[in-house]
Amino acid sequence: MIVQIVLVAAALAALVYFVRSGQNVGIRASKRLAFGLFVLLNIYAVLRPEDVTALARMVGVGRGTDLIVYLLVVAFVFGMLNTYLRDREISQHLTNLARQIAIRDAELARREEELTAMLRRHEAPDAGSAETAETTVGASPNGSRSARDHETTS
Amino acid sequence: MVADTGTWVVVPVYNEETVIADVVTEIRTRFPNVVCVDDGSRDASAERIAGTRAHLVRHPINLGQGASLQTGIDYALRQGAKRIVTFDADGQHDIDDAERMAAIVRDGEADVVLGSRFLASTEPIPLLKRIVLRTVATLSPASRKLKLTDAHNGLRVLSRPVVEELRISMNGMAHASEIVAALASSSWRIREEPVTIRYTEYSRSKGQSLFNGVNILFDLSVRQR
Repeated sequence: MIVQIVLVAAALAALVYFVRSGQNVGIRASKRLAFGLFVLLNIYAVLRPEDVTALARMVGVGRGTDLIVYLLVVAFVFGMLNTYLRDREISQHLTNLARQIAIRDAELARREEELTAMLRRHEAPDAGSAETAETTVGASPNGSRSARDHETTS
Repeated sequence: MVADTGTWVVVPVYNEETVIADVVTEIRTRFPNVVCVDDGSRDASAERIAGTRAHLVRHPINLGQGASLQTGIDYALRQGAKRIVTFDADGQHDIDDAERMAAIVRDGEADVVLGSRFLASTEPIPLLKRIVLRTVATLSPASRKLKLTDAHNGLRVLSRPVVEELRISMNGMAHASEIVAALASSSWRIREEPVTIRYTEYSRSKGQSLFNGVNILFDLSVRQR
């Protein structure tokens, strides 16, 4: 009897918590409904285990708890796989982000180096070049392919 | 001899401060364009690279060797690379091999040249390593299709059209198999060249553990679902 009270209380707490953290728009309505249904079924199973056992008999499993354990294992594996795949997707996004930052930094640093070298060369005759250089820094790093990169083989 | 400026050498670097400067200097005797991708090293690798004439791209966080290769390739392509050489940072590769392989791609004899330590048997390969690498090469359907003898050799030369098509999505060590699989399902002309590997005390200590092979197989199998 005590265990039933504890389990039902836990299920209700989960339900309340889930509903109250509803600002979370990311969760789809179908998932909310599914979760609510799941909690209600849980409470029902806790209160009337003999019904679950009857169901288990029907599908060829000895006891209701066994049936639940089997279902739990399947759900767990699916959940794990789902998490793993989402994890991979997120890390792929993270990789792309980090890569873009890394390349942009490297190209900007390179560009800056080239510009300071250029400025040093032109310093004496042309004092106004600093201003033009300043504006080129902001230009697209894509266009900074310089002559030295062109093929001069054979 | 005119320097080969169309070829970019991509060196993924992770905690290699003791050797990286020498490796870069050696590469630059043949290839002026070197890009080192520092994969969030915790040692002074980045400072060592900054002291050389190599381009330095730094990952803000550690992402893995596959990710480093892709970053280096992206960077080199943006600088107008005609060919990409992938070269390990621990100094296990021979620059003569890289030069010979790059020449094959440059002369249009092949689109991809992969290094194989088993075609040239001048250097002794540790027995256990030999068995594992040969087993992986024989078990992998992609390797078999291409008749490759070496599963995970870090020395490769790929032409620009090839790398433009290739996206390395395996961040960790499974990228080698991923590259082979992508090549197997393509129509590029692929060739294997004998290369020597210097199994120094240093490269041996840095080499990936054989247990990691299990991780690689798992990553690859889930990816194909």
